[in-house]
Amino acid sequence: MAVINLGDPYGFPQTPSSRGVDRAFRSIAMASLLLSAAAAAPGLVAAQDANAGKAVYERKCLLCHGDKGDGKGPAAELLLPKPRDFTKGIYKIRSTANKTPTDQDLLRIVTEGMPGTSMPAWEVLPERDRRNVVAYIKTFAADAFKEPPKKLDLPKEVSSSEASIKRGKEMFEAIECHKCHGVDGRADGPSRPELKDEWGHPVAPANLAKRWNFRGGRSRTEIATRLANGVLGTPMPAFLDSVEKPEDIWHLTNYIVSLGPDSPQPATLVTVSAVKDAIPDDPAADFWKKIAPNNILLEGQVIVDPRNFNPAIDLVSVRAVYNDKEIAFHLTWDDPSETTKGDGKATFPDAISLQFAPQQPTGTERPYFLMGDANEGVYLLRWEAGKGVSEVSANGPTKLSAIAGGETAGKAVFKNGQYTLVMKRPLTAAGEQRPSFRPGVFTPVAFQAWEGGAGESGPKMSLTSWYYLRLEEPQSNRRFFIPPAVALLTFAVLGMIVRAARSRAVQ
Amino acid sequence: MRKTFVALTAMALVGSAVMLAAGPRLAGAQGGGTVEVEVKYNGQPVVEKLKVNKDTEKCGQETTVEKVVVGSNKGLANAVASAPNAKGAKAVKGVVDQHGCKFNPHVVLMTPGEIEIKNSDDILHNIHTYSTANAAINKAQPKFKKTMTEKFDKPEMIKLTCDVHSWMLGWVAVVPGVAAVTDNNGVAKLENVPAGKQKIEVWHETLGKQDKEVDVKAGQTTKVSFEMKGK
Repeated sequence: MAVINLGDPYGFPQTPSSRGVDRAFRSIAMASLLLSAAAAAPGLVAAQDANAGKAVYERKCLLCHGDKGDGKGPAAELLLPKPRDFTKGIYKIRSTANKTPTDQDLLRIVTEGMPGTSMPAWEVLPERDRRNVVAYIKTFAADAFKEPPKKLDLPKEVSSSEASIKRGKEMFEAIECHKCHGVDGRADGPSRPELKDEWGHPVAPANLAKRWNFRGGRSRTEIATRLANGVLGTPMPAFLDSVEKPEDIWHLTNYIVSLGPDSPQPATLVTVSAVKDAIPDDPAADFWKKIAPNNILLEGQVIVDPRNFNPAIDLVSVRAVYNDKEIAFHLTWDDPSETTKGDGKATFPDAISLQFAPQQPTGTERPYFLMGDANEGVYLLRWEAGKGVSEVSANGPTKLSAIAGGETAGKAVFKNGQYTLVMKRPLTAAGEQRPSFRPGVFTPVAFQAWEGGAGESGPKMSLTSWYYLRLEEPQSNRRFFIPPAVALLTFAVLGMIVRAARSRAVQ
Repeated sequence: MRKTFVALTAMALVGSAVMLAAGPRLAGAQGGGTVEVEVKYNGQPVVEKLKVNKDTEKCGQETTVEKVVVGSNKGLANAVASAPNAKGAKAVKGVVDQHGCKFNPHVVLMTPGEIEIKNSDDILHNIHTYSTANAAINKAQPKFKKTMTEKFDKPEMIKLTCDVHSWMLGWVAVVPGVAAVTDNNGVAKLENVPAGKQKIEVWHETLGKQDKEVDVKAGQTTKVSFEMKGK
């Protein structure tokens, strides 16, 4: 009894025909349960059925991948990377030594999705549906699956160590990973603009410092597998036979893992630390290394035209400080190409802005997060490549006007695919258009960023909704005296109560 | 087998000068004739000039992508002339070198079997093939990997690219039988083509394919000319 179905644990809506089949499956399952206890083992799932998979495909996959499986569904033109064309049988993510993926490889992508792309995780679907859809997808390129998957033998694993990371870096340089991935792995290599996939679509190299976006997963084994057998249909070649020693695959893996954190660790509140010293303009100053970063995730702007379905900037690291005179923001973000001017058509200057309400809101009402509207504007502390830091008033993403007479300062540095920027302004400001910052107050803040090299400008941007920013209260010596005094007082009162109770008990 | 042995011995006796003169052409079965294939093209050459933006010390400041090379007398270079059905042709191993960020030669000839891929540039290249009959490969060839051997077992015209240097373009012509690549005059000599009726095929990377039937006479040179049409 190979075919067992234990019902649909997710209660997903099903077509009438599949319901009939289900009923049949259920009775078979019941019979087998009665016959043998082993049949109830949860590991046994229905055999793959391409016809049943077709129904699932048409409901869930067709919109992007198309009814012919050629990746040309109605939504395809909005997406980058483009949806997979199944008719060629070329699959990026394989655990195999040849071009044929295993069913498990395909099932994993369907189940977990592809980070950094529009492919969502379909684990909400019952496993049976997912397996059936895999069987159906394979029918689009039946010839490609005639060759059975060949097992990939990875070299013996080498655990991470300082020596291994060092060797990995050497190998990274020797095999010239930087040509595409950049010196620091931030996807800014010189070959980046020319890269095309098998279909002639532009394709971006992975930012190796943002492991959570790796299409094929962020685990060490997954990274080593990508290095060993490449990413099919893309420029990423196989390196298994192209490193000096087989174990270099693992040294490289360990080096890549050392380039960035496992996850973006997003902040929920931007804390502005109080400092006594002068705040340096130079973003590379040691001063900034001591300030804890707040990682802010950005999304593409998709509310007004032109929409940005494929935002280039997804993360900005914010370090913020203030002293008795100034408030300063140190921002770090990855951008694969420094664009200071642009041609005004396809490329524009890179830019970033911090958005505040023009005056600290008294209630919970805040201006419209998308750079304000006609009724209520916002204040922007904005930096633009080639122009520097300025104060801007906005009534929507296309209605910007400079605020005159401001005292702003700042400096940006671009290095190896990363911007670091310091923007400063006085803590308090006069006038209706500029907010003043006060310690201890939850101040609404939002962020916007533009990768001009990718054609981002105006409404085509990455952005956040409102966050809160809070200026830490200046620390005084009182914290060393008040808590102990309170503790002493409490003990004294307790002691008195105990004494009173005892004397009463004696009476 | 014996026939080939005798022939080889005879050739050795005649002297190596003859062999050198024969050049890299595929030597086929003995007792055949020569087919001189002339390929003409009336259109304009397509040679794109590009500014190199990386590895300029190896690739030069400027490079060319030779898609259609037309020589004197409208002769079309880099076309593959072949007698694909010629029996008894000698096996030829393909050899291609990545030199100056170009595939050298632009069109490599080989009979189904092995190809040696060299990297004499001392920088990273990746061999990325666009093949359907043979398994497509995309393998890195870092500077320390001077040669790689790959197998192309099935007859096919395979496009070679390098993603690191997007202008690099080459072709591997996996052709059974006797084949040669046209020179700058658009001429290719197919030697030792078995006598009798033979299909002569001409293929060019952008101008497509044509074929003609030719009556090959033993010990004689038969001329055949093709005119490729622009697309």
